[in-house]
Amino acid sequence: MVARCSAGWESAPGVSAQASAISDRAVALAQTDGRAWDAALLALRDAEAGAGADARRDFALERKLEAAAAAPLEIASLGADVAALAAAAIDNCEATYRADASAAASLAAGGSAAAAHLVRVNLGMRTDDPRLAHALASEQAAREVAERLGEPTR
Amino acid sequence: MTRHSSLPDAELVRACRAGDAEAWNELVERYSRYVYAIAVRGFRLSDDDAEDVFQDVFTKIYLRLDTLRDDSALRPWIAQLTRRRCLDAISSKGRETPAEEEALTGEESADLADVEEAFEVREALSGLSENCQDILDRFFAQDQSYRTIAEELEIPSGTIASRIARCLGRLKDALESKP
Repeated sequence: MVARCSAGWESAPGVSAQASAISDRAVALAQTDGRAWDAALLALRDAEAGAGADARRDFALERKLEAAAAAPLEIASLGADVAALAAAAIDNCEATYRADASAAASLAAGGSAAAAHLVRVNLGMRTDDPRLAHALASEQAAREVAERLGEPTR
Repeated sequence: MTRHSSLPDAELVRACRAGDAEAWNELVERYSRYVYAIAVRGFRLSDDDAEDVFQDVFTKIYLRLDTLRDDSALRPWIAQLTRRRCLDAISSKGRETPAEEEALTGEESADLADVEEAFEVREALSGLSENCQDILDRFFAQDQSYRTIAEELEIPSGTIASRIARCLGRLKDALESKP
């Protein structure tokens, strides 16, 4: 919206196209995330209902939880992309819409943080997992951009 | 990439006529997905029928290239050969040869237009710098994040969105400057 409404900005159509592409990806990922989480939840209930140790069941559960971490990992990364896109927009868009670009970065940072949290939860205790590191790096990148764009001097 | 991949269609046709085998390979490479997409997406042919169409169309191109009047009109010519062959494939299934507008539903017709548009974009893309082609492919086709693009191309992450926007601007100019 910020790009679309900034008629005098030469790169606006290109930024708008990227925003649309990211939005399409986010919708698809949200649906994938829902399906993966449903499957993981079923596996969790199976595990809770089962008695004693069952290596095969535990392995299946672990696989489902890993799959449930995959979509949030990409969503965390998309959040960082949205914040970066907002940063590219804020210096070039019409002044009226700078606050909207800053708000988009804040929302993206929130989404990235929520997604990183889900990655952490779904991966369980594995704090050294590179996927978690990746999600946390995305969260940090989005947060830093959002904080910078939200500074009152802007 | 071969020495022929950057040749415009008209020059490629001339090289094919001169018997250049590499040029023929490039022609098939350049148009194979196009022919297949028309058959499968436009006319909803089965994979087997599309394969037959594919073979026949490229055989016809090979045999009849000398009859092409305007060398730069290679793509519309191939599209026409493919559409006719697809209609033959449909009629061979027991129906009379339908007119193209009768053979295609609205959705199929729209898909055919999408195929045409996708190919036009692909042609315009091939005229951009390799850097632009690469970054647009990574973002729009491979769904890579800015961070991944920045790491793999070793360029600052904060510049990716602007680079993509500039390359899209060039792509738009290339599309708009087409006759």
